[in-house]
Amino acid sequence: MNTRNDNHTKENRSGQEDVRVRVLPHAGDLKSVMLYYLIKGKLAVKLPWKKTAWTCAGFPVEFLWAYDLFPLHPENMSTVAAARKQSLWLIEHTESQGYSRDLCSYCKTSMGAYDTGIKTTLGGIDKPDLITCTNTICDTHWKWFQIMAHKLDVPFYMFDIPKWVSGLSEKRIEADIDYIVEQFYDFADFMQKTFGKKLSERKMKKTLKLSTELTDLWREIYEGRKAIPSPYSAAETSASFFPLVVLPGKKIGVKFYKKILGDIQLHVAEKKGTLPEGKEQFRLLFEGIPFWYRMRFMFDLAKYGAVVTYEPYTYSFSPPKPSPDLPIDEAFRAVAKIMMDLPYSYNLERRIEYFEKVIDEYHIDGVILHENMSCRPSSAGMIDLKDAIQRDKNIPVLILQCDMNDPRAFSEGPIMTRVESFIELMRENKK
Amino acid sequence: MSTIIAYFDSSHDFPEEIISAAGFVPYKILGDIHQTNEPADRYMPNFFCPAAKSWFTEAMARSSEWKGIIVAQGCNSTNRHFDIWKMHIDTPFLYWFNGPLKDDHVAAKFFKNEIRGLIKTLEDQFSCVISNENIREAISQSNAIKSRLQKLSSLRSERDITNREYLDVVINALQNEKNETITALDLAIRDWSNRAPFPAGKKKVLLTGSDITYREWMDTLDECDIRVVRDDLSIGERYFATLIPDNEDPIDSLVAYYLGVPKPATKPGIGKRIDYLMKVLRETECDGIISQNLKFCEPFAYDSVTVNNTLKDHHYKLIHFEREFTPVTDHQMMNRLTAFTETL
Repeated sequence: MNTRNDNHTKENRSGQEDVRVRVLPHAGDLKSVMLYYLIKGKLAVKLPWKKTAWTCAGFPVEFLWAYDLFPLHPENMSTVAAARKQSLWLIEHTESQGYSRDLCSYCKTSMGAYDTGIKTTLGGIDKPDLITCTNTICDTHWKWFQIMAHKLDVPFYMFDIPKWVSGLSEKRIEADIDYIVEQFYDFADFMQKTFGKKLSERKMKKTLKLSTELTDLWREIYEGRKAIPSPYSAAETSASFFPLVVLPGKKIGVKFYKKILGDIQLHVAEKKGTLPEGKEQFRLLFEGIPFWYRMRFMFDLAKYGAVVTYEPYTYSFSPPKPSPDLPIDEAFRAVAKIMMDLPYSYNLERRIEYFEKVIDEYHIDGVILHENMSCRPSSAGMIDLKDAIQRDKNIPVLILQCDMNDPRAFSEGPIMTRVESFIELMRENKK
Repeated sequence: MSTIIAYFDSSHDFPEEIISAAGFVPYKILGDIHQTNEPADRYMPNFFCPAAKSWFTEAMARSSEWKGIIVAQGCNSTNRHFDIWKMHIDTPFLYWFNGPLKDDHVAAKFFKNEIRGLIKTLEDQFSCVISNENIREAISQSNAIKSRLQKLSSLRSERDITNREYLDVVINALQNEKNETITALDLAIRDWSNRAPFPAGKKKVLLTGSDITYREWMDTLDECDIRVVRDDLSIGERYFATLIPDNEDPIDSLVAYYLGVPKPATKPGIGKRIDYLMKVLRETECDGIISQNLKFCEPFAYDSVTVNNTLKDHHYKLIHFEREFTPVTDHQMMNRLTAFTETL
């Protein structure tokens, strides 16, 4: 009998031919980028003259680098914990303190990681000097960070980002931007009062320059993913977008992405895909946060000839950044608009428009929507999104209800059965 | 012809006085527990706030009775549900009111701007004039209601007033025409003031957590010999704990009021929320505290551990539980509540 064994066997239990995903030659360089971040983070925590800040997705990390605050990222470390198979016991630890099973699994993983003091390499996180956050993505961020700031007795600052709902007028969007920019200046006052730190415009411009370079490179990488066969899939991007999360403004991320882009350009020229020649049958869009405890899911799709060629989630971290040559007030306005306008938190009307454009540009055959029990904001409107795509683009859409960090929500048998039916629908649809 | 403008407010964030000043009746959408949420289930997953789903269901069924709907920024439910409402609720007027989460001077300036924008939009949409004088009148009316509710609320710990009766007067104040509400509240004050003293067999509790939108749950507490004598709910004391100040500019009055109401879990300031609960407990002697969380209500679920632990540290007796969104009596919960009352 054949057994599933890291895609090495020729046939798996379900009778599908196993297909090995080919990773890019420089994919392994990501390890040194992560090590750089972890070591620098440890030093920042240990050295008494250094300051650290917790932050979250959607927060302009460039601000922290410009203030010489090292960004520690609880959410990112939660993904590390899940990938290292630690999230379940950490979540259960937090639930034992009284937190509901229905709350965000990133939050519970991170609270558990802090409480138990597990190693950073397993997803642990150190106490910061400051906690910063924003409600750009969700309310959970500020609820979670506020609780931890209260518990750790650490200063707390949040940017309140008004919602860009469907149909909001340009005039109101401009007023919302005014509000955010005023908070940036208020944050400057807060930093001055709390830490005696002044915003260095020179440092901010330098950080923005590198951040712009980093995000531009990522979008170029995405351009390369339009190629058929696709040279780069979510099996790799789900990890390699890491520098965008915490290292915008640092050279190491730029160097890494230049190598990845070089690999992609070479593979595109050679018509080499992430799957072996002739195996790419279905190009997928995957919406939502991956199942971090089960990253093999992205590799498992290969055996059906399916490649995830676009993820709004990883793309969200690469909005075009403002030119470093802009006066600071204009740069602030541009950053404020980015915070309101991330693809991950697009309103429903814009989300439908965006997805349909991507489906055309990336020659997408089917869409998987991760209805994430830990992320209600991202799951809101998914049913309408599905209906619109099926109606306008005539391709199958699969809604998978699961969780990004809590393996209790992932039930392999039912999920893979649904995936197999989805594959069959795509096959029929392509005839 | 309808005179109602309905609003979706997950806490007490929306300045309903502007609707009154425009000559309409503000109506807070609270859903109907007795109607199935199936219409909402068509568009929202099963792990979304059932109360917010019930509000959506009510709006689908009743929007033609209303002049329009305003959705106020509150929690994740309000923010992301707006788009679904825009797609599926048939109404001539759907407006997003973006109140700030914070309460500092920057937020106050933004809030004032949002109120001005709301006034201009209502004037354009309904060809009405919302003068400062109109707003002052609406504020005065609002304060008349709040002060009467304060009086009624204070009677809860002194007289025999059922939990349902209290919830009824608050819900009526949130949904009915304001002058009629004042008359009804005056009658209730007369009635409640002459009631028998607080029943000897009942326990006095402070109720905190998610909002209660249906009477049956309050009946369950009564059946367990529990009387809610204080609370910090939006369909409760948060709505009338303070009065709207009388500033030179009535919009400034509204800004000061709404940014200053006792903090719900949907707004930053967990320390302020705890301080408020402690103040309430100092004001009124309570036998215990009930902290309840509606299934999938995230903001209060996050707060509950910190808030409850702090209250317990101050030696208050407290029970915490999650409840389903149903009018049906939950006997397991009644057992827990009865056991709790025995410890008081």
